[in-house]
This record gives sequence, C-alpha cells and structure tokens, in this order.
Amino acid sequence: MKPAPFGYHAPADVAEATALLSELGDDAKVLAGGQSLVPMMALRLARPEQVVDVNRVAGLGGVRRENGTLVVGATTRHVALERDPVVAAAVPLLARAAPYIGHFQIRNRGTLGGSLAHADAAAELPAVARALDAEFELAGPDGTRRVAAAAFFRTLFTTALEPDELLVAVRFPIWRPRSGFAVAEVARRHGDFALAGAVCGVQVDAGRISRVAIGLIGMGSVPLRAEAVERSLTGSEAAALDLDDVGAQAVAGTDPPSDVHAGTHYRAKVGAALVARALSTALKEADHG
Amino acid sequence: MAEITATQDAGTEMEVALTVNGEARRVRVEPRKTLADTLREDLGLTGTHLGCEHGVCGACTVLLDGAAVRACLVFAVQAEGAEVTTIEGLAADADSLTAVQRAFREHHGLQCGFCTPGFVLSVTAFLRDNPAPGEEEIRDGLSGNLCRCTGYQGIIRAVKAAAEEMGRR
Amino acid sequence: MSTDSLGTEPARTARENPVVGANGDQAGPFGGATAARWVGRRMPRREDARLITGRGRYVDDLNPPGTVHVAFVRSTVARGRIVGLDVDAAREMPGVVAVLTAAEVNSPSHQFWQTMTGPQSVGTPGRVLADTDVRYVGEPIALVVAESRYLAEDAAELVDVDIDVEDPVVGFAAALAEGAPRVHPELADNIAEEVPTADIPGFEERFDTAPHVFTETFDQHRYLCVPMETRGVVARWDPWTRRLELTLSGQGVHEPRLFYSRMLGIPEDAIHVTMGDVGGSFGQKMFPMREEHAVVIASRLIGGRPLKWIEDRAENLIGGGHAREERIEIMVATDDRGVLLAGRADHLEDVGAYPYPGNGSAAGSAAGMFPGPYRWAGPGSVKYTGRAVYTNTCGRCAYRGPWMMETTGREQMMDVVARKLGIDPLEMRRRNVISREELPFTSPSTLVYETISPAETLEQAAELIGYGRFRREQEEARAQGRLLGVGLSLYVEPQFGFGNLSTEAATIRVEPSGKVNVSMGTGSHGQSVETTMAQVVADELGVPIDDVRIVQGDSAATPYGPGTGGSRTGAVAGGAAHAAAALMRERVLGIAAHMLEASPSDVEMVDAVVGVRGVPGGPTVTLAEIAGLAYFDTDALPPGSEPGLEVSRRYKAPLFMFSNACHAVTIEIDRETGKVDILRYVVSEDCGNMINPMVVEGQIAGGVVQGIGGVFYEHMIYDSDGNPTTTTFMDYLVPTAAEVPDLEYGHVVTPSTTPGGHKGLGEGGAIASPAALVNAVRDALAPLGATVNGQSLSPDRILEIIEAAESATADETPS
Repeated sequence: MKPAPFGYHAPADVAEATALLSELGDDAKVLAGGQSLVPMMALRLARPEQVVDVNRVAGLGGVRRENGTLVVGATTRHVALERDPVVAAAVPLLARAAPYIGHFQIRNRGTLGGSLAHADAAAELPAVARALDAEFELAGPDGTRRVAAAAFFRTLFTTALEPDELLVAVRFPIWRPRSGFAVAEVARRHGDFALAGAVCGVQVDAGRISRVAIGLIGMGSVPLRAEAVERSLTGSEAAALDLDDVGAQAVAGTDPPSDVHAGTHYRAKVGAALVARALSTALKEADHG
Repeated sequence: MAEITATQDAGTEMEVALTVNGEARRVRVEPRKTLADTLREDLGLTGTHLGCEHGVCGACTVLLDGAAVRACLVFAVQAEGAEVTTIEGLAADADSLTAVQRAFREHHGLQCGFCTPGFVLSVTAFLRDNPAPGEEEIRDGLSGNLCRCTGYQGIIRAVKAAAEEMGRR
Repeated sequence: MSTDSLGTEPARTARENPVVGANGDQAGPFGGATAARWVGRRMPRREDARLITGRGRYVDDLNPPGTVHVAFVRSTVARGRIVGLDVDAAREMPGVVAVLTAAEVNSPSHQFWQTMTGPQSVGTPGRVLADTDVRYVGEPIALVVAESRYLAEDAAELVDVDIDVEDPVVGFAAALAEGAPRVHPELADNIAEEVPTADIPGFEERFDTAPHVFTETFDQHRYLCVPMETRGVVARWDPWTRRLELTLSGQGVHEPRLFYSRMLGIPEDAIHVTMGDVGGSFGQKMFPMREEHAVVIASRLIGGRPLKWIEDRAENLIGGGHAREERIEIMVATDDRGVLLAGRADHLEDVGAYPYPGNGSAAGSAAGMFPGPYRWAGPGSVKYTGRAVYTNTCGRCAYRGPWMMETTGREQMMDVVARKLGIDPLEMRRRNVISREELPFTSPSTLVYETISPAETLEQAAELIGYGRFRREQEEARAQGRLLGVGLSLYVEPQFGFGNLSTEAATIRVEPSGKVNVSMGTGSHGQSVETTMAQVVADELGVPIDDVRIVQGDSAATPYGPGTGGSRTGAVAGGAAHAAAALMRERVLGIAAHMLEASPSDVEMVDAVVGVRGVPGGPTVTLAEIAGLAYFDTDALPPGSEPGLEVSRRYKAPLFMFSNACHAVTIEIDRETGKVDILRYVVSEDCGNMINPMVVEGQIAGGVVQGIGGVFYEHMIYDSDGNPTTTTFMDYLVPTAAEVPDLEYGHVVTPSTTPGGHKGLGEGGAIASPAALVNAVRDALAPLGATVNGQSLSPDRILEIIEAAESATADETPS
C-alpha cells in the first residue's frame, strides 16, 4: 500500500503556490494536513502527478479577530481549533466540533482548510462552516475572491475552488456572548466519521429565539443547513418548542446516503433525533435573558 | 526553519535533513516515501511499525516536533528540518525506561507488542498534555491506536498508573 | 464503559479478583517439596523489555543484503475465466527483477496438505497462483519482484489481466442452489464437508413425546482475525547449499518446514525456518497460505536473493483468510421446567474458495462441543449435522475457537427457550448445568468431562454481576422506557490432544554456569510463552526465574511442535516443560546427593542451591557446581550417571482437555440511535491452576473484545457480485479503547489431570462473548417483542429490529 510517484512542491508563499497551481493545472493536488489525501494516495485511489505542499506557505496558519469575524488561516490545525482560547471565545461551535474529528493524532496534523476543501459532508467542520455561514477566501493567480459557504460546497467532495486556486482563510461570524452552541453526532466508533449529526447555534431574547443556525452532518452530498426550520424557529418561544418535531422538520426533504455503516432511513431518523439533542443542549446554554 | 521552496519531479530523490531522536540525519528519498518507511528502511529504526498504512491503526505513531502523528500519513520530504522522536528515542537502555514504558510492562499493556510503540508514543504525548486525565479522557486519548490482543484492559490500567506515577514526581 | 450509576457492585481491580479453590504454596529454604514460587504469580513478562523499546524483531524488520520485494497482482473479479494476461510492460519496468505467473510457479507435483489434516484429508483443490480462472476477489494471479515495494506495486499495476466475468457463488443459498455454478469445477458440487450423524434409535420420539419443542435459526456474519501485524515472509533459496532459509510471521516454525518440504519435494533438512516476534495471529497464521507458497517458490526460481513479502492491510482484509460466516438451526425439546430433553443442530459454514486448513470446516469439532455444559438426557439425546460450502469469496481460516458456532447457537437458544417458557435465562441454565458431583460426566457427544465447573462459574458470574439486583434495576428502567439487558453465556472449551496436536516437547540444557536453556516447539505470538514456561521450569527445577531462558522460533534449535494455537500451551507445552524439568531435577539431585553424600530423596533444590532437607545451614552445592561436575569432571559423577545436563521430554496429552467459563454482560441500548453501551462485563473461568493470572486475564480480555468487535462493529461485507466492500480500516471497524468496558474476572480453580493442573483458555473469550452480547441485546429488546437472531448488530440494524418489533405490535393492536 504505497503511493504512486508524484512530483513534490513546497512553495513558500501564497503567490508562489497559486503560480504553481496555475502552471500544473489539473495534475496538481494541494497537500495540507494529509489526513484524508494521503490515505487515498496510499490506496492509489488518488494519484496526483504533482503535489503542492502548503504546510510551509507563510501566513496561512493562525487565527485573528477582524470586523466581527474570526479569520482562521487555512493551515490552522484542528488541535489549535480545539485548544486556542481565542477560537473558543469567538466561535465556540468550532472549538466544540474539533474534538469530534478523528483522534488527537489526526487533529495534530489535519487542517481546517484541508477539511473544508476536501468537503466531506460527513465531516464536522464543513457542517459548522455551513451552519455559521462562514466566508471562504480563495486566492488565485489574479488575486483573491470570497465565497459564501452555501456556494463553496458544490457536491460530493467538490467545491468552488478552481484548479489554480488555494483556500487561504475562512471567516466565521462571531456571535454575541450568551449564545448557545452544541454538537451532537453518532459514529460507529469513537472518532469515526459521523453516521449522522447536527451542529447548532442559538440566541434567545426575552424567551424568544432571535437567531438560530442548524447544520446537518452526513445527511446529503454536501453539508446541509436547515434553513426553513431556522426561519420558522426565529421569533418562536424557546420553552414551547416541540424539539422532536423540529428535528423531524430539519431532516425533512433530505436524502442521506446509504453505505455499509448505515442506510438512508437510519441517517434520517437519527439525524432528526440529533438535531433535537443539539438544539436542546444549545438552548440550555443560551442565556434566555 | 528558513523558508524554502522545494520542487522535485516524480521518481527522483530529494535530500532531507531532519533530527531523529536527537541526532542530525540526512536521507535521500523519493517524494512519495512516507516518513514511516524512511525511518524503518533508511534510518534502520524498525520500532515504528506499519499496521495499516492508511492512518487508522496508529502503530506508526511518532512525535513530529513533539506532536504525536501517524508517520504513514507524512511524507519524509515534509519532515525537512523537523525533530522526530521514535520509540527507540525514549529509553537509552532497559534500565532507563520511561514511566509509560514501565507501566505498560507492569500492567500487561501488551501481548504481541506490535501496536505497542505507537501506543507508548501516543500515551507519552497524551500524558504530557493531560497530566491528570479522567477515565473518559483516557479512552478518548487511546482511541487513535488499535490493539487486537489486550482488549485494552492492561493499556488503560497502564495509562492510569503512569499518570499517577508522573503526578507524584 | 463500566458505570456505577445503576448502583451495581464496584468494579474489582485485578488483584482483588476472587479465586475459588486455589492453594497458595509457601515454603522456606529446604523446608518442603517443590514450592510454587513463580507459578501462580502475576509476573510481568520477560518479552516486554524489547517490545516496549522498539527492539522487537518482526519479519518486516529483517532486511538481509540484496532483499527484493514482492507485490501481488490479484483478481478484481469473484469468478471468471482469465482470457488474457500480459506481463511484458511490468517485466520491462526498471527496478523489476521478475514477474511470475502460474505458468512459472504452479506445478502438478505440489502437495498442499497440512500436517494436522494429513495426506488422506479431503482438501480443497490446491493451487498457488490462479491459472485459467479466478475464484475470489483477491486471488493472486501474478507476483512481481522488484527492488522496492513501491516499485513492485508500480509494476503490478502494469500487469494487464483480462477476465471474462462469470456469475459468482455468494452466500449459502447460491452455493446450495440446484444447478449452482461450481466454485471448483474439479469437484462435483459446492459441498466442502458434510458431518452426518448416524441414526440414533428413538431419537425422533424424544421430540414427539416432549412437552415442548422449539426451533430457531441463528446467523453469524463474516468477521476476521485482524492481527495488527499482517502476514509476511522473507525467503531465500541458497543455490549453493540448496537450502531454503525462511522467516515468517506465523504460529510456529515446524509446520512451514514440513509443509514446504512436502510441497517442494525436498527433505526437511533443506529448510530452515525461523520466527522472531510475531504481531498477533488468532489462527490466521497457523498455516502458510497461497501467498507464502508463491514467495517460497519464487525465491527458489530466482535463487540467491532474499524475497520479502509483507501483506498490506487491504490484502489482509481482502485475502488473508476470513471466518465466522455460519448459520445454525437448533431444535430442542424440554419439559415444563425447561429441562433439556433432546437437541438437534444443523450447522452451515461458508468456507469461501480456498480455506485453510483442509476444507476449512470446523463442524466436526462443533458437533463434539455442542452439548456444552448441560446434561441433556444423556447419550443419544443430541444429534448434530453440518455442511460446509464453497463460495467465490476469500477462504476461511482458523479464528480463535473455529467451532464456536456451537456456543453462539446453543447459548442463544437457551435464552430463546427460557423466554418462551417464562423462565429466567439464569434459572434455565441452573436447571440444566452439570454439577461437580456428576463428574466424570459423559456428554451426549461421548466426551468425558472430569475437571470442569460450569455450575460454579455460572453462580460466580451471576453473583459478580449482581444478577438479581440488575433485574430489579432493569424493571425500573423499563418503566421509564429505557432498554437495559443482561446476557449470559456458559460454555466448555476444548483443547484437542489428537494427531499432531497430541504432543509438545521441551529440551532443557543446564549451562556450566547453572543457567537454564529451554528449547520448545512453540511459536508465541502474544501468549507470553517466554514468561509462563519459564515460570513452570523455574518452579519444577528449583531455580530463580532469571536463570531460565526459553528458546523458540528456530526449526534447527527446537523440538517439533505443531505451533502455538488451539489453547494448548498451558496444558500441553506446560506438560512438556513440567516433565522435562522434573527429569532434569532428578538428574541434578542425583549428582548433588552424591556430592553431599546424602540420599537423593533427602535433597532438594531451591534457587539453584541444593541442600539436605530439614538441615538448614547444612552443606550445600550450587547448580553451577553440579553442572561443572557434569560437563568437566565427569569421573567424579556418581556411578552410572550420564555426563552433562541435557534432557528432552515429549509430553503426550490426553485426547481431550476441557476448561470452562461463564460470561455475563449488562448493556443499555439508546432507543433513538441504536447505540449499545456495555455497562459491565464479567467473566468467571476455570482454567485449572493458573501459571500467571495476569496472562490468563489478558487472554480472556483479548478474546472478549474480539467478540465485542464481532457483534457490534466488525463485518466483512460482500456485495452480490462477490466484491468485498469493507476492505480498509475505515470500513472494517476494529473496536478501540473507547468501545470496550472494564472487564471483571472471577476465577474458579479445578486443577486438570495434566502435569501442573493447567488448562487452556486462549480461545474461550472469543467463543463465549458473541452469544453473551447478543443475549443481552435480546434481553434489552424483549419488552418490544423483538426477534434478535442474527448479527452484526450495528446501530442501524438495532433500529431496524426495534422498528420491526414496533410495527408488528402495531399490526396486532386492534384499532
């Protein structure tokens, strides 16, 4: 189980990286943490002719607050999302989702940008980015552009990234303090990709929901957001909610995949229960003042 | 680490300089050669084991700049300038075992021993970052390494014992 | 995870585990006969120092000069004709040494039988590489030898195989269908084995006249050994000495030596097999398989250069040998109290295409063990039939208790019947279990139990898990809509002592320094043989354990043994160690008595010093002094005494040996997600006198967790085209530390009749756990009226079962 041969490139900055990507075209694959790509290469299911390793690209890592958003560099490793107090304070959902990613050895190496660009709908970070409506900063040979999460995730393992583009940072909106956040998921084993899951954020004012975000893990070919449910919840009385009903509505219309670990029916049914659980936890945390 | 720009074609070898168990080493490897294979084949450090080569079993776990990582998911060329610690780097001889190694021995944390180097390195890093872990944290911390012999019973006992011993020092 | 939230008994630490019936020998210097100083102790292992420091030596750690690497080209089709095989591009690739196909490798003169099955055995048609057709996905078609594994895999991709796909035989129904395609066209049908039972007069009447008759079918899915180290071999044919140097990852060195001697038609003497550390096996590596054969033959064809093949994980999962895909239909007759009056079992095994060993069937062993720890109604009250079928899937290999379907089926049947009769499963077992007073007991399958204690382990397990209290807690939980369950599994574990499994030998050499070398035919792959056998020899001989070294894994330096497996080490290898050490002690004491001018019956050795019994502070002589005399001053030896201190004894084991155990487990099922949380898991076992309780508990734990994996996580799935779909560790789910509970152990000690009173137990954990776990799920779902007769029990499957039960209930409810 050895990877096929490839050419290796370790650019030092974003300009060099995008120039390389533009030059190499479809033959190139960006290598970040490598925790998804390298297994595929070992199995020869992925066999890029050229690998552009962005781990040494200056300025791609790290987090900073900027204009009400948390800007997370693409090569920020999962372990930093999990441990950095700045992340926990600004985007608690990101910090809480991170421990669900694989195992600590995976999180030591895996990166936010890698996970999002890989766009596995069963992964946690794409669901968080989608739920919170994060903005993706893509650098290309002609400069950078910003893409909303809804537009970034196109279909199964496919994103808005062009072959010559590099994901450089992701901007997460910072919710006000006293919001509630929660992650609920079911995986076959601890650390496995979720069979189904939900991420939630909620704000409550005077007993009524004033802001809510619900992202679904593993429920479709892309990370989903239960936007219709969010709209119907906004303004409703938090204490009067029928959470089971909310869960059922959140997954209504989804067509979750079926594989050796669970079928479509299971994912839909359990997804609904997990939405209810995540929302219940988030509501408990949210300051109802 | 100075900024570098490295470019190498497929099939040709690259020179990589890294520090392994405190010693400066140089190897010439193809870009596709994993750090695990490089440690085993080019540096003779066969204590790093390959159990799956696709990043699940954890037998190849090493410390890369102090962080426990799967050496099968890192290419050796990526370790340019890095410090790597393998199982061979933990104890100079049988009389200077680390607390983690001693605990594995005293609590029957291994049978066939194949997964053991990966566990020992994972636990070493885990206890460094979580000196007083609870039961659930221990299981979480161990869940990135597979063992097929022990049913994890002795391993969990060993982690508790090592944490206790290290806490006393 | 173990939890006290239910107010159950606190978990016991290993050192507090109850031991019933053990005797703690204590003795001072020269104060008594052989004192047990090492046997029975929780001794840390002597293997560990090298293994925890990365200094073990596994087969992949060998890189003799000139080593070349092997990769296989394998079939991607389950069944079909090979209509084209083009290896030219691969052969021309730089770095490639050779590309070999059936044309070069296969030979009609090859013999394929294992020593255990014998030349007369009805085996599977043998071949090394696929020639004109392919019979399972993963079947090796060609092997590429190159300067590195990377290059070998590159070249393997260049081999062009053209296969005309044919309909494969997948599953029992397809294999048994009228006019089914034959997996092996050389054979008449897909039946690999049939275990018929002679007509038992009056058998049918037992059912006709019984108050109750129940019939149920239990399915088990395919799951695998999955040692953390895959298979591997380094082979070098020396063209000048005409000898094969073979190192492999296996369970012993002697079977490969004999096997390849027969296969290649060369004397045993021309083959030297060594084995270093081995990273687990669980049955998979007991017998060399086709890939090893191919490498050995290729090494001979190439000559001079060492060939190395290390199976990768995908190869291991796809083609390394599979297990456990079985079905059993059980019919039992009982009286109103649940007393078993008669039983009939019909067992079906899927042995794949190329099983190992022989035809892969374990139904014969299962037939013997099916009556288990229960009385039934004596001889003639139980009947067992079995069939094994070939399919176009990976062949079956041995896996820890290959016959375990008898326990998986029987123990589930006990629960099903108990529930139907309104009897608690514990009470049902109490009414049928064989008690100590009934020993020796001849089972309905005519096996004679002499030293088992199933009733005692049943009671101990029930007490340890707090069975009665759990039932009350369960009732309260059920009232809240929670799904709690308890499962029991009671069994008798055999160790077979027939054929080539009947003996083990130990050769002991006391060095002039007094150090003790023990050569054994064992092939340890995690069983702690270097520790346990040293414990036995140190005690029996009377030397410090640090003076004893166990040598194994070298065919030139050790006596024949069939390999470590079949739970035989404690009783059989232990028997040899006891016997050889006793003989050595006699020799040593004879010389010592002469030196001390005492009678041999008056002297004893403690810590390698011989003194006269009852004379503390009297004259002594050390083992080194005795050895010095024996080797270098032979004229000073007592008259008639043989010079030197070298003895060898081969121990012949009884035909059958038995241990027994009871597993008890409590679980809670999350009704919304189908996830199972194991609350507590208790094993009460009787393996006779324990050599090292730490090792005993380690063996149990490993087996139990393999059962947990099997029931809840691991599943090798084939699609209808015969494609395996769970071929990486991302899909074939081995449990982690987060999925297992803290195990609790109870020990009942009934010494066996073998030397030392030890019994084997290596397989039991894996034999009994699946039934206990499925029974717990069945119990948890009982209030819903659910039927749980199959595995694997993934969360998805559990929700399906719950929903099926709920909709059945809804249908029955009049609207």
